[in-house]
Amino acid sequence: MSARYGMVIDLDRCTGCGACMLACAAENNVPSLPQASARTGLTPMLVRKISNGGEGSERREAFIPILCMHCEHETPCVHVCPQQAVEVDKATGIVMQMPQRCLGCRYCMTACPYHARYFNWWDPAWPKGMEKSLNPGVAVRMRGVVEKCNLCHARLHAAKEKAAAAGKREIDPADYIPACVEACPTAAIHFGNLADPRDPVSQQSHSPDAFRLLEHLDTQPKVYYKSKEPWVRALSEPNSGPSMEAKHV
Amino acid sequence: MKVTRRDLFVWGAGAAAGMVFSPVPWKLLDDVSIWTQNWPWIPQPPHGPIEVKQSFCTLCPQGCAMKVKMAGGCPVGVAGVSGNPVTRGALCPLAFGVHQLNWHPQRLRAVRHKRVSSSWSEARAAFAKACGEGPIVIVDGRPGSAASSVLASFAEEQKGSYRVALSLETRALLPYEAMVSPVIPASALGYDLERAQTIVSFGAPLLDGWGIPGRFTRLWSERAAGMSEPQLRLIQIEDSLSRTATRAWRWVAIRPGSKNALAAGLARVLVEEHLVSARGPLSALTVSDAALQTNLSESAIRDLARTMVAKPPVLAIAGDERPEIAALNFILGSVGSPGGIVRRSKPTEKYELANAAIPNARAVLIDASVPWDYAPPTDAEIFRFAAWDGGSNRADWLLPAPGFLEEFTDVNSAPTSAVETYGVAPQLTKPMFEIHSAAQFLSAIDSSFTNPETIIHQRCADLFRERAGTVYGQEIMPVAELDSAQKFEAELSKAALWVADAPKSASLLCELKEWPSTSPAESPRNWSAAWAAAVLPPLATKLYRESSLREAPDRRTA
Repeated sequence: MSARYGMVIDLDRCTGCGACMLACAAENNVPSLPQASARTGLTPMLVRKISNGGEGSERREAFIPILCMHCEHETPCVHVCPQQAVEVDKATGIVMQMPQRCLGCRYCMTACPYHARYFNWWDPAWPKGMEKSLNPGVAVRMRGVVEKCNLCHARLHAAKEKAAAAGKREIDPADYIPACVEACPTAAIHFGNLADPRDPVSQQSHSPDAFRLLEHLDTQPKVYYKSKEPWVRALSEPNSGPSMEAKHV
Repeated sequence: MKVTRRDLFVWGAGAAAGMVFSPVPWKLLDDVSIWTQNWPWIPQPPHGPIEVKQSFCTLCPQGCAMKVKMAGGCPVGVAGVSGNPVTRGALCPLAFGVHQLNWHPQRLRAVRHKRVSSSWSEARAAFAKACGEGPIVIVDGRPGSAASSVLASFAEEQKGSYRVALSLETRALLPYEAMVSPVIPASALGYDLERAQTIVSFGAPLLDGWGIPGRFTRLWSERAAGMSEPQLRLIQIEDSLSRTATRAWRWVAIRPGSKNALAAGLARVLVEEHLVSARGPLSALTVSDAALQTNLSESAIRDLARTMVAKPPVLAIAGDERPEIAALNFILGSVGSPGGIVRRSKPTEKYELANAAIPNARAVLIDASVPWDYAPPTDAEIFRFAAWDGGSNRADWLLPAPGFLEEFTDVNSAPTSAVETYGVAPQLTKPMFEIHSAAQFLSAIDSSFTNPETIIHQRCADLFRERAGTVYGQEIMPVAELDSAQKFEAELSKAALWVADAPKSASLLCELKEWPSTSPAESPRNWSAAWAAAVLPPLATKLYRESSLREAPDRRTA
């Protein structure tokens, strides 16, 4: 049976510490180039700050991690890619980005309504010797290609290899946990198989507090958010989204 | 044979049809794609056998347990240890990029004297000469470790002074030293967060780098996050909407600099309305005075006092050294009671603090565990151990110290911890150049001192002899069930953690003679103030810059 991997991120538990961002970047060999800026840097997992727009003691803030939403329906980036460098893996539901096929046209970046894709403007480089600290499970990418979250696909491969070595067809869910999920100190990020009704993540995605960003686009993202705060849940409404940060903070 | 135009057409059509069914062009295209992603100048990750080892982070006094993924002998990734009872699998954000720090461009690679290259032998000669010429001062950032024993013994032998740069969390416990009897040093006190039901934070960044990263965040996440009626009430008293205030059950916004007035007002309400059984001296400040200073209404202060005691035990936590908050805890009956301020370990000696004046010293030696920001109040010759050069430091000698996982060392109880712990951080990577810790440096000057490794072996033997506590490693084992001291030490050498049994009684004799009159000036809280490294991991600098999540100080940029 094919899986549908996804996340439920409890925004009431997110303290905005940024551990998920760092763990993601370290796992995926993201270079720390001094010339990169907020506009040109690679941040496959990006924590943004949002607020209710109030002033003084009425003001409330929250943090929202933004990553590839792994859209299930009419996936915008897949539709526009002229190179078939993006595809939805039928076995896992993961939206895969293949840098070897990418020609860097950036149509997918334009099409992505979540601004979760990043262009590699420079060749990857690290201070002398620091390449020895890179994760050998993930290849570094050249300039001129688009990158994004692939739900730590290298960890999925490792889990599959482990299962195969043990003579099993299915992976042990405990062996496949993305770096951001593992790193979260408040356990705000939950990861699992949305297609399995017994999976706690699948059950949480049906909670009345759960919502998805820009639901009206009907892209059916596999990343759900959860909050008891009505002003946070308003992020699912048509005129909201990551630009909330610019509007309110 | 004559080749006709028809033959050319047939050959062309055949070639085209053959190409479609041949894998050659697709293979070539694939190879070219892969080739263009593998230019020779693109850095390649290390190759070699993959292992996962355990150790402790020694870059701040918390000493968090971590799993380190190694490839070909190089650390390539870090994760938390879920079985560790203190950190519970959590780490601070910086820990996820810490394995890159040893390669940081600002890594100190050679001895420098007044910014000019020098040698270890010259540094040793200079320090030995200074020892002969006048009193020396040794400053340590992690008291109680095996290396600290060497530093303290050397200072004593030389009739010098051993001083300690305490973490901010421990400094917040200093006011209790004068309150409890017999005197217990702040470094032996801790917060019993696990049993508290209401925590009132006076500006302490409890969810933003305060104490052990996993301890309070996990507790808050399980008992408070997103709950309208949480099991653990977190009330944040702060002038601005900090990260902790954002997530707190209640945020009480007050005027900057009025925390002491609010503490005095709350204490008065608690006593006047008989909300607590304790009696004690009160401030001359009335509730209306406190209301005027804090910009809260009098009724808001009274409501806050009633809310505080509605769900006991209540614990007030200060963000810095604040006797008024200690006095409030005394009124609340939270000193020496479950869910309050508790004694963690056996009585230890009181340390002389590093920020006290240093008159007539000939030389000051600063250990690498002391944060780079520390500037000794002296004109003496300064010998500064550090693994990274943070710039703008007036040290005469810069001495390269071991970096991340380059030293076999021990890890004591974290500041704020309610129980005593002990761990041993194994050396996982070989140093890239000649480095020495301050303890090794002093042992080389006077070989009569026991080296830290021998002290660690001795401590393991002493702990085993007591047959108390539990070892948290691959399995959880009470020490009493272990066969031998060798097995105990072998477990600790694999970065298992020894945790003492909970004290049978938390009670402390305490007395408040008068309400504190003044408090030291409020110092701005630097999020990474306890971080001993002078630089941040380059990934942290990059991501904080690109996400605007927080500002990395300029001097810490990669």
